[in-house]
Amino acid sequence: MGQHDVFAYEYEQHDFANGLRLITVPAPYPEVVSLYIVVQAGSRNEVEEGRSGFAHFFEHMMFRGTPEYPPERYEAVMQETGASSNAYTDDDRTVYHSTMTKEDFERVLAVEADRFQNLAYPLEGFQTEALAVLGEYNKDSAEPVNKLFEVLRDTAFDTHTYKHTTMGFLRDIERMPQMYEYSRTFFDRFYRPEYTTLVVAGDVRADEVLAQVERHWGGWVRGSYECMVPVEPPPGGAREAHIEWPTYTLPYVMVAQRAPAFSDESSEGAALDLIGFLGFSESSPIYERLVIEEQSVDLLWASNADHVDPYLFTVMARVKEKERVGAVREAVLETLCGFAEAPVDGQLLANVKSHLRYRFALGLNNSEAIASTLAHYVSLRRTPETTNKLYRLYEAVTPADLQAVAAKYFGEAGRCVITLWEGGR
Amino acid sequence: MFSGMILDPGWRQDDFERLRDDAVNYLEVALRGQNDEELAKDVLCSRVYAGHPYERHNAGTASSLHALTVARVKEFYLAQFAQENLTIALGGGFPAGFESRVRRDFAVLPLKGRNQGELPAAPEVRANELYLVEKAARGVAISLGFPIGVTRGHADFPALLLAASALGQHRMSSGRLFTRMRQLRGLNYGDYAYIEHFPGGMYTLEPLPNVARRRQMFQLWVRPVDREYAHFALRLALHELERFVRDGLTPEEFARTRSFLSKYVNLLLKTKLAELGYAVDSDFYGTAPYPEYVRAGLRELSLEDVNAAIRRHLRWEGLKIVMVGEGMTEMRESILANRESPMTYNSPKPDEILAEDEVVMRRVIQVAPENAVVVGVEQVFA
Repeated sequence: MGQHDVFAYEYEQHDFANGLRLITVPAPYPEVVSLYIVVQAGSRNEVEEGRSGFAHFFEHMMFRGTPEYPPERYEAVMQETGASSNAYTDDDRTVYHSTMTKEDFERVLAVEADRFQNLAYPLEGFQTEALAVLGEYNKDSAEPVNKLFEVLRDTAFDTHTYKHTTMGFLRDIERMPQMYEYSRTFFDRFYRPEYTTLVVAGDVRADEVLAQVERHWGGWVRGSYECMVPVEPPPGGAREAHIEWPTYTLPYVMVAQRAPAFSDESSEGAALDLIGFLGFSESSPIYERLVIEEQSVDLLWASNADHVDPYLFTVMARVKEKERVGAVREAVLETLCGFAEAPVDGQLLANVKSHLRYRFALGLNNSEAIASTLAHYVSLRRTPETTNKLYRLYEAVTPADLQAVAAKYFGEAGRCVITLWEGGR
Repeated sequence: MFSGMILDPGWRQDDFERLRDDAVNYLEVALRGQNDEELAKDVLCSRVYAGHPYERHNAGTASSLHALTVARVKEFYLAQFAQENLTIALGGGFPAGFESRVRRDFAVLPLKGRNQGELPAAPEVRANELYLVEKAARGVAISLGFPIGVTRGHADFPALLLAASALGQHRMSSGRLFTRMRQLRGLNYGDYAYIEHFPGGMYTLEPLPNVARRRQMFQLWVRPVDREYAHFALRLALHELERFVRDGLTPEEFARTRSFLSKYVNLLLKTKLAELGYAVDSDFYGTAPYPEYVRAGLRELSLEDVNAAIRRHLRWEGLKIVMVGEGMTEMRESILANRESPMTYNSPKPDEILAEDEVVMRRVIQVAPENAVVVGVEQVFA
């Protein structure tokens, strides 16, 4: 831990012979331990046609039991421990997490090790779970932002798997009950130690955790699959799509620009993160104008979401009147291009960097927050050190860097605009 | 900044209009337009408390918001923002003298607010009521419940907390409803049970503090179900509820759930903010700090105590039932006529499940036609 590191906890990082990595963060919060199991496979890894949504579906299957712990027994054990546990999947990762009192840590660790190594479910359980996934799609389908992302990705990407959302295309979800054999292949490929990192944070000793993980996870056999994700060709021009929404909504406009992959070496991504905040946060001039003064927009945000491969810098606005959508879209584009035209004030940039740094550090105020934050970065670079490198990159970004990155990425060629409003009933 | 917000609000007309727009859009766009599940829960609350102050949505109604003026808001502020209505919780590394400064600053508020009178008990719900909200949707969201006389501090609270956890701990896969409805039948994404107000359930894995209420209700949250199976899902939820109330927990369920809750409460206060939030709630209810209160209550419980408390407070008739989705006129007819609602699966099921389905698909739900209403979504909180 360096003096100026943003990740202010000591940690131990250990690689087992089978490729599994363990990161242990003893944290000063008594009695509680958080375990995050990070699998570096998400919807990005769904490379075969018709398999969109499968990584997420598979996350569900991980709760369908092993010979030693059928689902009822797994649930009973987890319930007895009082663990708060769940899982999530996104583009680049699937994460299984539990937070528990320290006396139950090894028990949970052992049960989790069992399902990662010995998962075995019958066809019937598989087909039933496919219905629960469809239920999840149904519950999400009332929200237009989910549809906006679905169409944005489908429009913006041609070959890369970011073309589909983590939930997947509905046509693929509906076919899931027929993919039992493929589910075994998926498990065999990705649920392997070389794809997996355990993050343990809380009231623990690193040496004890190491011995416990060795005991329960040491025998896990390394796999051999390498996932070849198609490379997206350079953007060939601006793209647009429009969605007619069947129920009442305010109109939305989403402006996305192709953006670089996450990096803790190049400062381009860090510069785009800073632009996102300077350009579109609640303290930005466009927010002041559109949301506070004109009151033509009621929601506005920008995101340069970290991704393993090049993804999108996205701005979304919800507009109060359909007639204003064009003007809002122009205002967003002007703001983006403005970053290329003139440098931002140095003091303002310094303030934003300081804000982001404190926000990150203050967010690490309990064991679960530490483990969940690290899970995100670990799925990108497999080490907490990447947070320190990233925040050193933020420190180094200059107003000229912001101009350069805006000029490079905010051109028309890499642009994708999606609008949505009520209609088409 | 914080004291400025409370002690010296801006009262600017343009801010007021923006915030009023936000509130109207919350009701009309976010809730009615985009969140069928939260809508079903909010409508349930207003149906359970029909004629009671809790009937009103916290955000108001679109028409009440349109009629609102800055002057009315200011009048409310002057009447209610009084010291007797204010609780401030401080935690963390604040400097010496800060607490007395805070006390001094807020002493400018009047001591007493306008007399609000006693909050009446919730109206009794005797007969089943069906309140169906028609809107275009892929699934049907279902919420049902009734008022209970138990809040934190009541002798039966720990027992009912355990009962609700066993029946359907929020966002966990261990509860009976989840197991029977989702795990075994794949009907939907999840099914849970509550004995306390729990707003925003889809955004949090754990209960949040500072939504304390003087009156509480029991409710089941059945996440959106395919329209074709919505009648069946409602019947199954009621079937499980009846079985739960009649037979109670098994000794294993009791032991497991008690173990779970005794440990789980320790995980809830993980940040200073949560600790303060729970402290405010404990002050409100007049109980010991929450984890100690729950653990002590659980320690003394027997299986029979829990099952007796279930029988005392829970029931499977006399419910308010809310459904949000498409085809509600047909749904009303189907439920009133108690039409059979067979369940089909995409995979073979054990005989036990198929036999149970035979019973469930014919389960009678007694609803008088005058207690079965279909409304358009645009009429809700209008």
